[in-house]
Formats: sequence, C-alpha cells, structure tokens
Amino acid sequence: MVSEFQWQLAGRCYKLGHNVPHPGGVVPNRIIVGRHFDARDIIPHLFEETDPGFHTRCRPGDIIVTGRNFGMGPKMNGYIAMQALGLGLICESMPFLAWRAAIGCGLRVMTDCVNVSEMCESGDELEVDFRNGFFINRTRDIRREYPPLPDSLLEVVELGGNAGWLKHWHETQGTATGS
Amino acid sequence: MTQLTAVEKVLALKSGKTAVRPGDVVYPNPDFIMIHDGVVMGAKRELDQLGINRLATPDKVVMVTDHDVIYGSARAAERGAFNRAAAQAWGVGQFFDVGRGGHGHIFPMECGMLLPGMFYFDNDRHATNAGAIGAFGFRMGTEISRVLATGTNWVMVPKSVKLTIRGRLPPGVHARDVGFRIAALIEAGALTEDLDYRVLEYAGDLDQFSLAARAALCSSPTEMRAYGVFLPPSAAILDHARARAKVPFAPVYADPGAQYEALCEIDVSALEPQVATPGGVHNAVDLSQVAGTRVSHAFIGSCGSGMWDDMAQAGAVLKGRRIAPQVRLFIAPGSEASLKRMASEGLLQTFIEAGAVMLPPGCGPCNDAVIGPVHSGEVSISTAANNNAGRFGARDAQLYLGSPATVAASAIAGAITDARNL
Repeated sequence: MVSEFQWQLAGRCYKLGHNVPHPGGVVPNRIIVGRHFDARDIIPHLFEETDPGFHTRCRPGDIIVTGRNFGMGPKMNGYIAMQALGLGLICESMPFLAWRAAIGCGLRVMTDCVNVSEMCESGDELEVDFRNGFFINRTRDIRREYPPLPDSLLEVVELGGNAGWLKHWHETQGTATGS
Repeated sequence: MTQLTAVEKVLALKSGKTAVRPGDVVYPNPDFIMIHDGVVMGAKRELDQLGINRLATPDKVVMVTDHDVIYGSARAAERGAFNRAAAQAWGVGQFFDVGRGGHGHIFPMECGMLLPGMFYFDNDRHATNAGAIGAFGFRMGTEISRVLATGTNWVMVPKSVKLTIRGRLPPGVHARDVGFRIAALIEAGALTEDLDYRVLEYAGDLDQFSLAARAALCSSPTEMRAYGVFLPPSAAILDHARARAKVPFAPVYADPGAQYEALCEIDVSALEPQVATPGGVHNAVDLSQVAGTRVSHAFIGSCGSGMWDDMAQAGAVLKGRRIAPQVRLFIAPGSEASLKRMASEGLLQTFIEAGAVMLPPGCGPCNDAVIGPVHSGEVSISTAANNNAGRFGARDAQLYLGSPATVAASAIAGAITDARNL
C-alpha cells in the first residue's frame, strides 16, 4: 500500500453538462483513434474542442464535476491526462465501463453522485475525499456524502491504475489483493 | 437459502462464495481466458515492459485469430507473425490461428469447448455470446493483461434484468429480428430503462430457439450495452453440450426467487421481419417500411449470425437464384467446422452459384473493415453485430441490418426485400 496517497483533493470546480462524449467532448477523436496513451501526448488536447488551453489553466487538485452519462464509452485517453494533471472527477453518472476505465487509469473518481452538478459552479472552491465520499463546496457552504470507491478498488487507484497495480504485483511476487 | 440470478450464481461459484449480490467485487477463477489477434500485441508489449514474461495460467489461455484472418497488408502480416511468436513465448494452451477455429465467439460453443455454467474472461465485449449456451464471458478490454498475468481480475457483480419471451415466432421470422425489436423497445424505454452493465436474462418460451438463434438473441442487447446475456439452456442445448463436452460441466439456472432490477416481457407471435436502419441496432423498423431501398453491398456472418443455421437459412433463400448484378455479397461462416459442413452438404455450391464471395471463417467486414468494406455513399445490408456509422468502411455509407434470410433476399433483389415474398 502507498500510505501517503492523497485521497482528498482541494481545488476549483470545473463543471460540465450531461452526456459529454469522450471523443470530442473530452479529447479530440484523433487522439482516441490514434491510440495515444502517453499522458504527455494527451494533456495539450484535454477538452481542446470545448475549452482550448484548459491544461494551462487547470491546477493539481481541481475537480471536474459532470452531469449524467459522462464519457459515454470505455475510452481511457482523457482519464490518463486528468490523472497526470492531478485532477479529480465526480459525475452524476458514468457508463460502467467508463468508470472502470477511469479507475484503470488511476484517476480519483466517483460516480452516482446524484445532482452533484446542482451543488456547484465552475470556479467554486471544492474539497472532495474520494476514499469516504465527502464533498464540500467551500464557496457555497454545501456538504454532501456520495458513494465512494469500493474498498477493494482503492489500491488500484493508489498504485496508479492497472499498469501500476501490475508493476507492484510483479515486484511483490503477487501479494496484492485478488492475485 | 439466498435466491440468485444466473450471473450471481456463476460468479459466486467461480469465486468460491455461497452467494454474491450486485455491486460486490469478486475475483472469479475462469474456465479459460480468451484473447483475439487484434490485441495480443498490446497485451504482450505491456507485460514485457513490466518484466512479466510468464502467464499465471497459460494452459487456460485461448488465442484466436478471427479479426484479421487473411492479411490484407504488410502490417497485418507482421501482427500475425508477432502473435505466433507471442503464443509460443507464453506457451498458451490453445492457439486457433488462421484456418484453425473460426470466430472466437462461435466455434467454442459449437465444438463443446464453452459449456453451460462456465465463466471466462475475454478482451472483447461480444463474449456475451456465451449466454447462448448458458455460460458467461466477461469483457476486460485492455485489462485482459492483468488476467493473463495473474489469472483473474476484479469483477463487480452486475444487476440482472429478466426478459420473458411469450409466443412462437411466425415462420420466416428470425431470432435476429427479435433482437432488433428488443433493441428498439429498450431505446424507447418500453422494456427497461437501461442495459448499461446489466445482464439480460431471458425466460419464457425459449425451447423454440436453437443454439444459433440463442446467439442471435445475445447480439442486440450487447449493442445496447448489456455486459452479459443469458438463456437458460434447454434440453436440446444440454444434449448438444453433452455430445461434445470433453470435461464435466454443470448447467446453472436462476433461482425462482432471484431478485431482478426489472422484469419485462415481449410477445413475438405477431412479429414481422425487422430491419435496423443506419445508426444503430435500436433503429429497427418493420421491414415493410424500408422495402425497396436499393443496396449494393451485403454481408452474412458475424458473432450475431455466423452459425450453421444462419448459413443454412441464407442458403435456402439463395438456392437456385443469383444475386443482383450491382450487389457484392460476402459470406463469413463462424467456424471452420461450418465451412466443412457447407462444402459437404452443398451449401458452398449454392453460395458460389448465387454469385456470393466466400470469406474465411471469422469476423468478416464487421471488424474495422479489414476486408470487404463499403465505400462512401454506398448502401449495405448485413447481419453485422451493429450498424453504427463507420462500422465497416466509410462513415457516410448507409448500413442496414437484417436477418440472414432478409440479407440473402435483398442481395438477390438488389433492394431490401422480405424473403417470404420471393
């Protein structure tokens, strides 16, 4: 276990609407079909079609808050960039395989956060603890509790996603959970 | 005793638990692990980079060449060579390379490798076909690397939705038509709200459905995002499995008091042949609404309609007839075994005399257009898994879907045609 892992993020809200597709809405489709999986290649293109230059303005700890059905499919590219930028993601809902892809990229993510986009606006100061589901909007003095990641999946995120989990598993001779 | 749905029962059994509930995270011990030719390279390179050069259970690994069978490019040939070297380096238990097995979501059910009650991991989402024989195959995508390395991966137990089929299908109406209709009803919110990561468990008047028909019933719910589809195996399905099984197996059925997220019903006794209009399987309409639409490209095969019965139904329509001059019709049988039977029973002759082009067993055009694609503006009718824009070629081609009989009849007429009217 990586005990110093930072489960709590404090930063600004970056709010998106419902049904944001991964191709176009998160990263340009060419990044997906071009099979770009290196964070350095993807970061300049995160939200490029809706908010060019996003990567120059976001800061580690900022939290992306979305409406329903975020991601719309099992693509990973955008989550790789979000993870590398130190961002968090909380959604009213995500298709299961989008959520699984985000976890697989080691992203601090929560889904099924009912009506969370009504609790904040872009720029609000948020604090979110992804391990216990606590959500605080400091700007509006709102506190909520949402379903956190299941305990058994925490180590996948702590270890940096699938690749990190596998690396750790290999180095420790298969002592990680579920091996 | 806790009452379980089919998927809950299989996941509990394979995870060494007496019961599981939707939302539980489990690590099932699979009966086998399947990986197809398109993703071996990615998984091998990922594991090599981590220094993982031995698989946890190589004997359980089944590698299948079905996505790009006859290499149409130097790159494809290079991938084929890479895959053969990977199979050897990993020491995989079974490698069904070019010309050896066929479509990975078809031949294992035909030959008795995939049996009722089994569970396996697959990189590909069309592993849902396993439900046709009363088993489960779960898609891992790129996370198949963890399964290869460690023998398992985390699975969150999905919710189950029960769909009861009432009535007998009229003659000339195919299980694939039922699937298209179900997709349209789901899209309209008329059956259940959402199939995302659900298991669709069929019930009701299922004895009428053969193994091939059951595979067809697995297809459209998968395109509507179901993670699993399940049909309780009938006596005929169990006979099929017993006659071919090389290992013992135990069929699984849902408990009578199992809890479902939703219960829904469909009466198929008055169903008309369906055609899914371009853009998705859910765009299904009665064939009569689009009859006469001219087509130039046609294809019969894929995980949804690639079994022997599908070939035979298309052959019955094509026998003694020729396809229209402007149409090219591709046939991709689901397995080498089907291809041999087609040769011995005269079906191959029927297809060739009708003017069809035979493709090797596998996915055919339905994998990223590596073979037999459509050009910009063309109109196609096929039995492909889906007709999303660009599924097999130009994004602005018009892709229609129908049953094998409908596609065969439409290829003959050169326009969308009800096979019952030929």
